[in-house]
Amino acid sequence: MHAAVLRYRVMAYVTGVVLIVLCFVGIPLQIAGHPAVANIVGVVHGILYIVYLVVAYQLARKLALTIGQTLVLLLAGTVPVMTFIVERWATRRFINPALAAAPAAETVRR
Amino acid sequence: METGSAASVPPASADSGPVWRFLITPRWVGWHVLMVVACWGMLWLGDWQLHRALSGNSLSWAYTFEWPLFAGFAVVFWAKTIRDEFRIRRGGEVVQHGAAGDDGLGLPAGVGTVQVQAPADDADDEELARYNRYLARLHEEVKGTHGKRHGFR
Repeated sequence: MHAAVLRYRVMAYVTGVVLIVLCFVGIPLQIAGHPAVANIVGVVHGILYIVYLVVAYQLARKLALTIGQTLVLLLAGTVPVMTFIVERWATRRFINPALAAAPAAETVRR
Repeated sequence: METGSAASVPPASADSGPVWRFLITPRWVGWHVLMVVACWGMLWLGDWQLHRALSGNSLSWAYTFEWPLFAGFAVVFWAKTIRDEFRIRRGGEVVQHGAAGDDGLGLPAGVGTVQVQAPADDADDEELARYNRYLARLHEEVKGTHGKRHGFR
């Protein structure tokens, strides 16, 4: 559980930062006639987003989210700044309660 | 989810027809439609990128493969979600804490492991005491070697 949360958090922040660079640095430069940054960062974000999808979906299953909540979590990786907002939302609403309940459940399992 | 709380009653698989019925409720049909449209859209975008790539935009090659991959992800995620839902509705536990193996066996209620409220009086059971000491020793050993990694799970 902790590992899944950590994986998700790392990917959420990395993907989020790269997407912000893409949108607020790459795109303006592209409009100004220097497309190189947007091209490279765009492809990097595409690859990172694939990893983010897998990691976020695994977490969503562990937290037993509904379909709608899962979709919000997955699509957050495509909207600038959204990953950070959704990460905080997920932490407050699902991750913290699950982690608070997890130690008890793990003891039962052993 | 509804069946999860009814621990003392047998799983509610028989009270409202076959389990798969939930797949044709309006809510789920809506999700199915959204899925099909999303997949079709992603494949269309992949096709569009392929045409761009073929006409000389070398950057488009990355997206040519990426969009179909996303469509594939969508299908896999969809299948897993439906499988989870079946499991929940058949009265199994929600897949949580990665313990997929011991859930969803379809055991009737009352069969399986239950946490006892108070341990039985077994002070005079020498064999049990020995076994408990053995478990405690194993626990100490494991804590000694894997202590750091344990905190992370």
